[in-house]
Amino acid sequence: MLALAPLIALAVIAAAALALRAAQSRQRAQLVGRVVEPQVGGPAILFFSGATCTVCHTAQRPALDRLAPALDGLVEVREVDVAEEPGLARRFKVMSLPTTVVVDAEGRARAVNAGFAPAPVLQRQLVEAGLLPA
Amino acid sequence: MGTVPFDRSVLKVSQVILMTGLIVGYLVSLARPLAAVALPVFAVMMLHAAAVPSSSLPRRLYLRWLKPRGLVRPRVVVEDPAPHRFATLVGGVFLAAASLVALAGLSLAAWTLGWIVVALAFLNFAFDLCVGCIMYAQLVRLGVLPLRRSAA
Repeated sequence: MLALAPLIALAVIAAAALALRAAQSRQRAQLVGRVVEPQVGGPAILFFSGATCTVCHTAQRPALDRLAPALDGLVEVREVDVAEEPGLARRFKVMSLPTTVVVDAEGRARAVNAGFAPAPVLQRQLVEAGLLPA
Repeated sequence: MGTVPFDRSVLKVSQVILMTGLIVGYLVSLARPLAAVALPVFAVMMLHAAAVPSSSLPRRLYLRWLKPRGLVRPRVVVEDPAPHRFATLVGGVFLAAASLVALAGLSLAAWTLGWIVVALAFLNFAFDLCVGCIMYAQLVRLGVLPLRRSAA
């Protein structure tokens, strides 16, 4: 029986990962199309990060830097440290880092990405939301 | 207080000690159940490292032996060490719980908890995916933990 311990541990971790994924899907469903942050001030990508989030620094920020020329001043990228602005992270129901949210000028969430979002995905979401020309 | 220079190699050394010790303990316990003593031993190591990071066993091993001999290279980053300290505490609490469960004679449950710690340590070691740090960020976000920056 004891030999099963690693397998059970693996199953527990897999179940937790699936539960997190389901929660992230619910987060998307609850947010997309709703005005979450009316004072955002214009179309933006909110990039939720944290000091200890390695993926934020090594992958997500470079992806946003690559995307910057395509934004052409039409969409602002705003980085939000969840520890510094817990209220904003709470309103956007951020559960994992990085999380990126495409927000229109009215503060309506148009797309939510839990985890790393490549530059082409973000660009497509901005075009689909009508915030960037096709 | 802001972020501080923080040597992540201390964490890596701690994770290697933890994974090796627990896996060896588990393998031995398949034949000799008394090897479950590894669970409280590493619980104490983790809880001590969380309470007094400056004098933890992995840190002393790293600073006195591994770093001077060039066996482990420093990997200094500027960040808040508090989430890592919290993650260490979570690992220690899991192993303390595993120790109590083992004392109650539930070896399978005890080693399942031990293997969860091994798996999480591996994720952190191999992929820099610190689940305890994610928990810390969530607890700060929910207002359960205060936003507090402290030195390691």
